[in-house]
Amino acid sequence: MPIHSIFALSHDDAEARSWLGFLRRHGYLALSALVIERVFWLEGAVDVEALLPLLANPLYQTTARQSMLDAVRGPVVEIAYRPAVTDPETPSILAAARALGQKLEFARLSRRYQFVGLDAAEARQAAARFLYNPAVERVREPEEAWISLRPSGEPDPVRSVTLVGLSDDDLAALSRERSWYAPLPQMKVIQAHEIERGRPHSDAEIEILAQSWSDHCYHTTWKSLGLLKQLSAATAAINHPLVVSSFEDNAGGMEFYDGWVITIKGETHNFPSSIAPFGGISTKHGGVIRDTLGFGKGAYPIGGTTVMGTMDPRLADENVPAGALHPRLIVSESIRGTSYYVNPMGIPMLHPVYRIHPGYAKCFALGHSIGLIPKRYALKETPQPGDLALVIGGETGRDGIHGATASSASMTGETLAKESAAVQIGHPITERNFATAIPVLRDAGLIRSITDLGAGGISSAAGEMGAEIGVDLDLDRVPLKDRSLTGWEILLSESQERMLIAVAPQNLARAESILDRYEVAHAVIGQFTGSNRFEASWRGAKIVDLEMGFLWGACPIEPTAISEPKRVAEPLALPEPASREEWLRAIHGVLRHYHCADQSAAGSRFDSTVQGRTVIGPYGGRNHRMPTNIAVSAPLRGKPYGVVTTLAFNPFYGEIDPAAMARMMVIEAITKAVVAGVDYREMVLCDNFYTPRMRPETAWDLKQMVEAIAKFSAEIGVPFISGKDSSSGTFESDGRRIDVPSTLAVMAMGRVPDVSRIVTKEFKRAGNRLVLLGRAEGDGLGGSVYADLRGKRGDCLFDGYDAPGIRVLWDMLLRLQREDRYLSGSAIAEGGVLLRLFEAGSGSGLGARIDLGGSILRPHLGDDIVRPRTDELLFGEFIGSVLIEVPPEPAFAAAGVPHLVLGEVTSEQEFTVIHHGAEIVRESWTNLEASWSETFREVLG
Amino acid sequence: MSAAVTAILYAPGTNCHEETAAALERAGGRSELVLLHDLVEGSKRLDRYQALIIPGGFAYGDHLGAGRVFATMLVAELRGQLTDFLEADKPLLGICNGFQVLTEAGLLPGRMPGCRGMALLENESAHFEDRMVRIVVSEDTSPWTAGLSGRILAMPSAHAEGRPLIEPGLAAGGARVAFRYCDAQGSPTDRYPNNPSGSPGAVAGIADNTGCVLGLMPHPERAALAVHESQDGLELFRNLVRWLA
Repeated sequence: MPIHSIFALSHDDAEARSWLGFLRRHGYLALSALVIERVFWLEGAVDVEALLPLLANPLYQTTARQSMLDAVRGPVVEIAYRPAVTDPETPSILAAARALGQKLEFARLSRRYQFVGLDAAEARQAAARFLYNPAVERVREPEEAWISLRPSGEPDPVRSVTLVGLSDDDLAALSRERSWYAPLPQMKVIQAHEIERGRPHSDAEIEILAQSWSDHCYHTTWKSLGLLKQLSAATAAINHPLVVSSFEDNAGGMEFYDGWVITIKGETHNFPSSIAPFGGISTKHGGVIRDTLGFGKGAYPIGGTTVMGTMDPRLADENVPAGALHPRLIVSESIRGTSYYVNPMGIPMLHPVYRIHPGYAKCFALGHSIGLIPKRYALKETPQPGDLALVIGGETGRDGIHGATASSASMTGETLAKESAAVQIGHPITERNFATAIPVLRDAGLIRSITDLGAGGISSAAGEMGAEIGVDLDLDRVPLKDRSLTGWEILLSESQERMLIAVAPQNLARAESILDRYEVAHAVIGQFTGSNRFEASWRGAKIVDLEMGFLWGACPIEPTAISEPKRVAEPLALPEPASREEWLRAIHGVLRHYHCADQSAAGSRFDSTVQGRTVIGPYGGRNHRMPTNIAVSAPLRGKPYGVVTTLAFNPFYGEIDPAAMARMMVIEAITKAVVAGVDYREMVLCDNFYTPRMRPETAWDLKQMVEAIAKFSAEIGVPFISGKDSSSGTFESDGRRIDVPSTLAVMAMGRVPDVSRIVTKEFKRAGNRLVLLGRAEGDGLGGSVYADLRGKRGDCLFDGYDAPGIRVLWDMLLRLQREDRYLSGSAIAEGGVLLRLFEAGSGSGLGARIDLGGSILRPHLGDDIVRPRTDELLFGEFIGSVLIEVPPEPAFAAAGVPHLVLGEVTSEQEFTVIHHGAEIVRESWTNLEASWSETFREVLG
Repeated sequence: MSAAVTAILYAPGTNCHEETAAALERAGGRSELVLLHDLVEGSKRLDRYQALIIPGGFAYGDHLGAGRVFATMLVAELRGQLTDFLEADKPLLGICNGFQVLTEAGLLPGRMPGCRGMALLENESAHFEDRMVRIVVSEDTSPWTAGLSGRILAMPSAHAEGRPLIEPGLAAGGARVAFRYCDAQGSPTDRYPNNPSGSPGAVAGIADNTGCVLGLMPHPERAALAVHESQDGLELFRNLVRWLA
């Protein structure tokens, strides 16, 4: 068939302008211009003229039959998908060409980048670093000619691998070299199994075992520490009437109203996001969204988050560990990835959160997904023998192979190069499509069970769904986008946008017609059997035949040694600011700090109002830049019922005291919602842990954290219903080991009967009093932003509330809110009272006058308590305590709860601090906003 | 409740159809979600509906250009039904991606299927912009904006390709600017982020010469319910219901 080529140039290419700026920011200063020429390769007897309107818009694009780039202007690098891979746009082009009456056989795209000002070598380097993913794309050489555009390539045969006779060293070496990352004890069990059954395993079988037994899929670390059941046991003990599903399914489910259930799930994608941020982050979202779609018989996603912990993006290049990407690149690419994936999904962004810590050489990349599902579909059934295994969505490709095993291994400088194939490529349109179709299938009663194809791909999904009864797969029926995939690669590929559904045979035809109508691809790839075996055949041969009992029962759990770490923490000795200048420097410094600064430059790239359910999004106030610290959604249209979510994540505290940090994250997340008027008795929690590779000391910290929150959740009666852990937060390079800090991100999800009752953060009226409700003494500066600005952590945390203590405060807040006794409120977190005063003030256009020791100071701290220093009061991170705005009359009272009248709301748009009658600070919001806004502008260029 | 039914047309990748139906319902109108596939297959026909809304999203992944593939399908498969619909002067609204579809299909500004007179280019910032914006209604000869001239409407805006490139012939064709991004006082603005795309002349929406065909980038359906921060967007849907009554 003839192959035509069409070249298109845009007269107005904002994308090219943006890449030019990006590349210059990343060191290519000689680059003076960047031109992007798009090339369409078309195979078939077609009238090219008839296709032109589809390929280009003459209003801003010029097309020609040959390149329009002038070779003398600069080197050109052409990027195309690999011959074995289909372009994501190809199906759209073929469909549209059909509509235009053209018999187009196949189509491909490539992009020609012309780098004006760089030499050929620099151009290739820039392209390789930023412009394509070698797992699926390549540089197309000018002399290369197409024979056919259709995907081509031959797979390797399945090989059998004999382990018998291999020494321990050989086993370990083989495990590494094949990227199984299976620890020696696992290799020995597989070796013994080979002897026992008297024949070697196929490579496919060993791949399945290594993947199923990886920490990512099997949670070997948590099992060996006896932690896996702790949170679920605490949840069982609480026996909360609103919990519908906890720790069993792909997400947790909580009773909402009118027969609906809301679901919550958080998933990290730290490894791929560290080596290829754009692909890693976009598929982070794709994966956690599929966990919602795979809850029960298919929930619908109604909200999401992106939470990033990296090194400081402002780090000098020479301080970035060898083999690690620059954090500036990770952050900017992660923002691009989130925007690329979540916006087309049509899911509102609830909490975009960015944090830094020098330990995040292997970054923390967390995303949540909140879902909605009728209660009658909230529990899945087990597949019955004879049920069909129906895979829907995208085709299976080479992307994402060994993701599960590689992500469970620690990361070294070399990993970057070796495991780039472990990064998946996301195509949100495909997932968007089945997100529309799944509720239709569900409501038609056609889904027996459904799960997503994530880590471990078909192997993991089919293995888990069929664990009770057995499954037999015919891999030749799996739709491929890469013709060169061998059997085990088809099983393990982590290609995105695929779901596995168990369908009763009599329902297949109806299911298929619904999927066709929504243009969702589908294929029956096997059957659930009742044989209790995992079987798979490929090209006529049976390449997998494992007993489910062995697959899910034989993984050796090695005891993990534990020993208490010695922490090198010094007590804080911070001098209190002594002059007006020092106070201003401290205040501007806190507002400029990465954790406190205006992050809306990043967050406003994500759709926060799609679905029309948003009541309160990430930003509010008069200029829509004030962080709200709470997300409120009204998912049932026409009803006042609200889903409320909040988030707590602080990488500093974990360095000082992991157990206290974990408790404080639970308190912070819940308090953020309670101060808005959400009853903690109608809340659930989601945990996401990120810890270094297990060593006796890190194992100790992990155990401390898990036990702390399990005990605490039982004491306060707020259950964890979902969570995930990653114990691979270690980066090794140049013999240096960089551990992530003990990390726990907690999300709280609650329900309210009437969203109009929610109390927001911004000030409401001049003359109102500002009250700090709760304890405000002790070590509020430990792990604080204020201390971090001085390069200090401290040796202990505020940790000011035990379970009974915080419940007294929450109950008081709920009572005050019921009685409309406060008009605005916010929970104290990083940046202390100061940050809350600034946000509530600049977000409202009203000012704050703080008087510490003057006439309006009325301390009610209780007898045992000394009033803290002024800088402690302003910058102390009294997690659990809240700032509320109350009317001047009657005098505020909160019997039994310590509180402190800090000052009042004023009509001047400025911030004033009076200390013993003397004014020590007076600064306009405008000046403070300038510092507050500067950080992320600098980070994002 | 009006008897007239408005088709809310969606395709793979459309993601604002349900809230658009909810907004119209709140305004007292009746709607039906219509899958493009069903029109192409012939199981449904456009003439069954008295009005048509193409909602926001990323139809067909915005492959080859925002709204391009959806528009190609419309013009190639449904040209006849579209022409009849236009000739009957039935109201047609494109929101965000729907506006992009209308321009790629040639329905705006010139209501000529297959003949493009304007394009919506990538925002000047070269990325997606999620903002609460104000738009001022600059003309009210359209059924959608009747009686709203000069009104400032607050509603969310969320897109990456919303910067209009308009052929000089636009005015000659009789098409008019229907909405402009503005400041709190209602003065049209080129300033970012009040004008989130860098739209020249602050153009946020366009109506054809009859006023029946309207396209805008911001999302009136996200400012239409009691729980929304603003309910200004409801006005457009109320106008439709009045027109159809």
